[in-house]
Amino acid sequence: MSLGTAIVTRSPFFAHASILGKFLSACSLGVLLGLFVTIVEIQRGSGFAAIEAGPWTGWPRSEVSEIDPYTRAILVYSGKISLSESEAMSFVAHGDSDGGEFDPACDYVMKGAMPPARYWTVTLLSPTGEFIANAADRQGFTSSEVLRASDGQFEITLSRHARPGNWLPLGQASKFILVLRFYDSELGSPAAALDAAHMPMLVRGHCQ
Amino acid sequence: MNRLDHFFATLLWLLGILVVAGITHIVAIFALPEITARDTYARIWGFAKPGQVAVLPPARPDKQAMPFADPALVQSVCPYDLAEGGLRLHADVEADKPLSLSFRTSAGQVFYSMSDLAAQQGKMDVVVLTPSQLEIVEADDDDDDPSQDLRLIAPETKGFVIISAFAAHPSEKADAEDSAKSVTCAVEPVAQD
Repeated sequence: MSLGTAIVTRSPFFAHASILGKFLSACSLGVLLGLFVTIVEIQRGSGFAAIEAGPWTGWPRSEVSEIDPYTRAILVYSGKISLSESEAMSFVAHGDSDGGEFDPACDYVMKGAMPPARYWTVTLLSPTGEFIANAADRQGFTSSEVLRASDGQFEITLSRHARPGNWLPLGQASKFILVLRFYDSELGSPAAALDAAHMPMLVRGHCQ
Repeated sequence: MNRLDHFFATLLWLLGILVVAGITHIVAIFALPEITARDTYARIWGFAKPGQVAVLPPARPDKQAMPFADPALVQSVCPYDLAEGGLRLHADVEADKPLSLSFRTSAGQVFYSMSDLAAQQGKMDVVVLTPSQLEIVEADDDDDDPSQDLRLIAPETKGFVIISAFAAHPSEKADAEDSAKSVTCAVEPVAQD
């Protein structure tokens, strides 16, 4: 017995009800699956336009309307395209140079090469982009205020406890990210060298 | 035979799910920025009226106007509505006081941005227009005395400009706030013939 005869032999009402049921279930399951895939993609992915350089993930400074819809959806959803993002080329780090995720019980040192820019800032934020409260009331450093050695090199220490030199306090945060922004840089151009060697390292130090 | 039919019917049903899932995914990816951005940028309109510049409150750990703010920037906003005429923006630039402008649609998409490095003779003069307003303005142009304004065509009639002033040190915050405030932003009537 084929499907056709099976439908004919049943009453027309049940045949329609079964086709309608299949149609509706396929539609609703499809919508759920589509939304699920979208949510997973947006929360885990960083988009086609993302650039990886050591622990840093960056997005070209190009106008938001020109980037692919995936990257745009991811950036807008995460809030990373906010007020300062068109002015700067931004990089986000969720972990150290060895690939380990940031642990607020540990100290981290940011040092090494900095790509040329008119000025840069480094900011400590919660993963959703809020400032982290701390007694020193410091959220980051700018290229002008960072203390440098006589050769121009600098180190920024991220720690819960006061450290000499450039101390970026972690406060009582349970999770944090670092955002590095370059203003008026040439990094957006395709010729710009962007790899781990040209970006600062994030070295994990003592943990408690 | 019956088993084969059942198999094909199930296969068709699964394919249907995949097609619907694919369509949903694509629609969601395209719609998401519009939806979330509208939500975020709706707040901008609460800060200032069209044709006015308002300094955004500085971000604090417990209160932030926008996520992922840069603490070194002092930002102000000028919403505009081109239905009433063009928008004229004027900024005086001082050496070593970085200032940048970004022109956005109502959903926050940037359609033009510039920094003080692009200023001419210490000034930034920008006029934002709709395509039809630009035609009228260009028709009135004097060829012997060309306008020094930068003319931008806005993709939508409503939008806003974000003015960002950079404070290299916390002590320069007040200066940066002054330069973010000093930008003027006014509705410029376009003569309709």
